[in-house]
Amino acid sequence: MQKEKTVVDARKPTSTYNLKEIIKYKDLFLVLAWRDIRVRYAQTFLGLFWAVLQPLFTLLIFTLIFGKALKVDTEGLPYAVFALAGMSAWSYFAFVLAQSGLSIVGSQEMIKKIYFPRLVIPLSKAMAGFIDFLVSIAFLIILMIIYQVPLTIQILFFPLFFLVNVLTSLGIGIWTSALTIRFRDLQHVIPFVVQIGLYATPIAYPTSLIPENYQMLYYLNPMVGIVESYRYSLLGLDPPGTMGLVSMGIGILVFFFGLFYFRKVERTMADIV
Amino acid sequence: MSEIAVRVSNLGKRFQLGLAKSGDFRENFGRRLKHLVGKTVPGEEFWALKDISFEIKEGQAVGIIGKNGAGKSTLLKILSRITEPTKGRIEILGRVSSLLEVGTGFHPELTGRENIFLNGTILGMSRSEVKSKFEEIVDFSGIEEFIDTPVKRYSSGMSVRLAFSVAAHLEPEVMIIDEVLAVGDADFQKKCIGKMSEVTSSGRTIIFVSHNMGAVQSLCDMGILIKDGLIASMGDVQDCIHDYFKNSYLDSSEIPLLERTDRKGSGEVKLDKVELLVDGAKSNILKTGADIRFRFWLKKNSSVSINHLKLDVAINGSYNEKVSWCTTDHESGPEDFSGSRFIDLMIPKFPLNQGRYSLTLFLMVNGGISDWIKEAFYFDVESGDFYENGMVVEKNKAVMLFDYKMEFGNS
Repeated sequence: MQKEKTVVDARKPTSTYNLKEIIKYKDLFLVLAWRDIRVRYAQTFLGLFWAVLQPLFTLLIFTLIFGKALKVDTEGLPYAVFALAGMSAWSYFAFVLAQSGLSIVGSQEMIKKIYFPRLVIPLSKAMAGFIDFLVSIAFLIILMIIYQVPLTIQILFFPLFFLVNVLTSLGIGIWTSALTIRFRDLQHVIPFVVQIGLYATPIAYPTSLIPENYQMLYYLNPMVGIVESYRYSLLGLDPPGTMGLVSMGIGILVFFFGLFYFRKVERTMADIV
Repeated sequence: MSEIAVRVSNLGKRFQLGLAKSGDFRENFGRRLKHLVGKTVPGEEFWALKDISFEIKEGQAVGIIGKNGAGKSTLLKILSRITEPTKGRIEILGRVSSLLEVGTGFHPELTGRENIFLNGTILGMSRSEVKSKFEEIVDFSGIEEFIDTPVKRYSSGMSVRLAFSVAAHLEPEVMIIDEVLAVGDADFQKKCIGKMSEVTSSGRTIIFVSHNMGAVQSLCDMGILIKDGLIASMGDVQDCIHDYFKNSYLDSSEIPLLERTDRKGSGEVKLDKVELLVDGAKSNILKTGADIRFRFWLKKNSSVSINHLKLDVAINGSYNEKVSWCTTDHESGPEDFSGSRFIDLMIPKFPLNQGRYSLTLFLMVNGGISDWIKEAFYFDVESGDFYENGMVVEKNKAVMLFDYKMEFGNS
């Protein structure tokens, strides 16, 4: 039998990921993801129902304030449907950022004692977010049936936009997880970013509400493009413009940059965490 | 024909003292700023490993020994790939598993069964591997009844047993173990040692770090002694252990007792020096059966008045096993004193056979620990004429001797 050979050479540090090895650890990834989902709802009365309750209440508040009181322009759509499409994209992002971002520091005991590709940790943490995402999409479908919002052929693009959503979220999550090792300050910054981001992204209102001369700055937020693309593919609104595409492009760039930075830090993670 | 399983060449690992620890923004920006204006930042460097090279053949069991801070743990961390070296190269043939501490990744909310899967995959097994060994793991741990109970309801002993059982059923070609034997009760430890010798005899390579020289000696055939990030000696495990003790003997006997810093206690009264008197003369060597006297000099450094003073003397063997223990506890204490005083410990017909022994001293004043020094004094015993009849009982026959009578009866 051919035995695998492990070589570590300080003169030839590898700056790329060993994909074969990450695949070898897929079971660890699955078990960790399953653990997080399992532990999240252990000893809670309502269990998975919490995944429904949280978006439901946010949506209720948004509908009352932005829909009923401020009456923002929703391009002819019922407000709840309009807001929920954006919220499902944003909630996934917020979840991954909060979970992955703190994951490395949270798993330091494991990192200091056992070897495995460290990327497994932020990736597995992001998995539980899919459950909440599925719940809010199911919720959206129910609302669309109630309000009789028809599906269009544009739904075919949805998987692509969802992928961009996942990559952007992972990118920022992975990047923050590596940064948090050195700068524990980020632990306090993340909840803050999530809170501000909810309003700096067109979730409760349409992009057209932002003054023309601030739009450039506004589109630097990759979630702006993603939310627009969700509304395009799910609700049949206009496709995102050039700036919307640039915005999504930034998200994908962030993903690769996050991966690159993480690998750089990975080599000495156990020493500094 | 056995191949080289582990090859380590010119390995070194540098740590940046102070700097590497996770800083905050301010610290980091301050450093960057200083760097920009051309000031070098005096970050202290520390080479935990300087230049380590060795080879381990397939199926060998190697004990890595050395004092705390010698670099053993750093070496293990590099070998198990937890961290990367600053210089040098390692090559390992086959699957590696490391047990730097059992139970890593155990989650208190999950049941024993779920934790077996979790811990097994963390240690590098696939789910199907865990599944196939599941029964064995549960059997070995001896906690079948609680397997579906959350681990947070386990006693600490139970979770340690479960954790070790998972770890013990890994089947890597190279196994790296650090001090796991320090867990569980005596029975379970015995079970663990048994399991580990089983692993060794099955032809797998083991790298073992421990302070328990007895365990190192019984498990390993090769030893590597590390001192200050370098290999001090390597080869037969007996020789290495011997060197280790010689080393620590030299290290501590070079320093006068009063100047040693590896002590605990308030220091109100300190142990000043220890003398061994054999036939009235100072010595470090005695023969089994000799009448000896240890003289412990005390020095009082404070104005505290002494109401009660007690000295415990532990005699330890060369594997740090506890051999005997003496105390002044039932003697009426000394009057209050200032300056120096001594306590004599007289042992007629010294019963221990050939070997190196050390004394650990524990001094209590007025009910509080005043001075506590481990391995405060070393002495050598040579086989002697204990029975005063010309018969010397060799070391391999007896650890200790005592007066006895044997009689022929007639039925």
